[in-house]
Amino acid sequence: MDKRKEISAPRTIVPACSISEDSGVVTLSLEMPGVQKEGFEIKIEGNELSIVGERRDAEARGRYLLRERRTGAYRKLFTLDETISRDKVDASLANGILTVKLEIKEAAKPKRIEIR
Amino acid sequence: MELMKWERPAPTDLWEAFDGLRGEMDRALDLFRVPDAAGLFDRTTAPAVDVVETEDEFLVYADLPGVDKGDLELSVTGSLVSIKGEKKAERESDKRKVFRKETWKGAFSRTIVLPAQADPEKVSAELRDGVLAVRVAKREEAKARTIAVKAD
Repeated sequence: MDKRKEISAPRTIVPACSISEDSGVVTLSLEMPGVQKEGFEIKIEGNELSIVGERRDAEARGRYLLRERRTGAYRKLFTLDETISRDKVDASLANGILTVKLEIKEAAKPKRIEIR
Repeated sequence: MELMKWERPAPTDLWEAFDGLRGEMDRALDLFRVPDAAGLFDRTTAPAVDVVETEDEFLVYADLPGVDKGDLELSVTGSLVSIKGEKKAERESDKRKVFRKETWKGAFSRTIVLPAQADPEKVSAELRDGVLAVRVAKREEAKARTIAVKAD
């Protein structure tokens, strides 16, 4: 068992993800069950937003009678374009769902022009 | 030793050819960033479940991301563990534009049969970080016992 673990690299799980936008805020919600708050690494490098969540709970001691849950680390990469503000990023975790809120830069928001 | 051009051997069996093709397609699909069966409803509206047997209990783990404690119903009848619930949608506003939707909402249920040693009277459950953990103790008489050997 341990030998097999050494050989095989930990599997990457691509989390299910939904993306929506509401009044200038882009919300990403990712299903990442089993990841604790401390297990997350969310970073922005250049144009890339990377979300990595280490799942530690899925390995239990004992004999598995049924095994369907994936083990490994969640990994998801997003490319951010110029309209997304890099400074205003907010992440929260509830019930195994990670919610990341990104703000659209003021300059990139559509402007409404009044007709005189 | 001489160098020869490598050629894929012609499949002797037609099914072998299909298997090879399927393997190649699976690999190609792996390259896309398609979510695995990590979502709640990827497995025909039932959550993925692990059942682990330890020395004195059975542990049932189910991945239930986005499910509130109040929307979850757990029942144990004999050796049947039944998990039922509903995943509610996030609040939505009219102005919201959805770009991508891979997460789901709706009702789900899953029933697992535990071995007969499970004791339905001793069950505890915990929902944490989107994972439900149910502990079902083994019956006293089913537990492994150490028998001290007396010597004169």
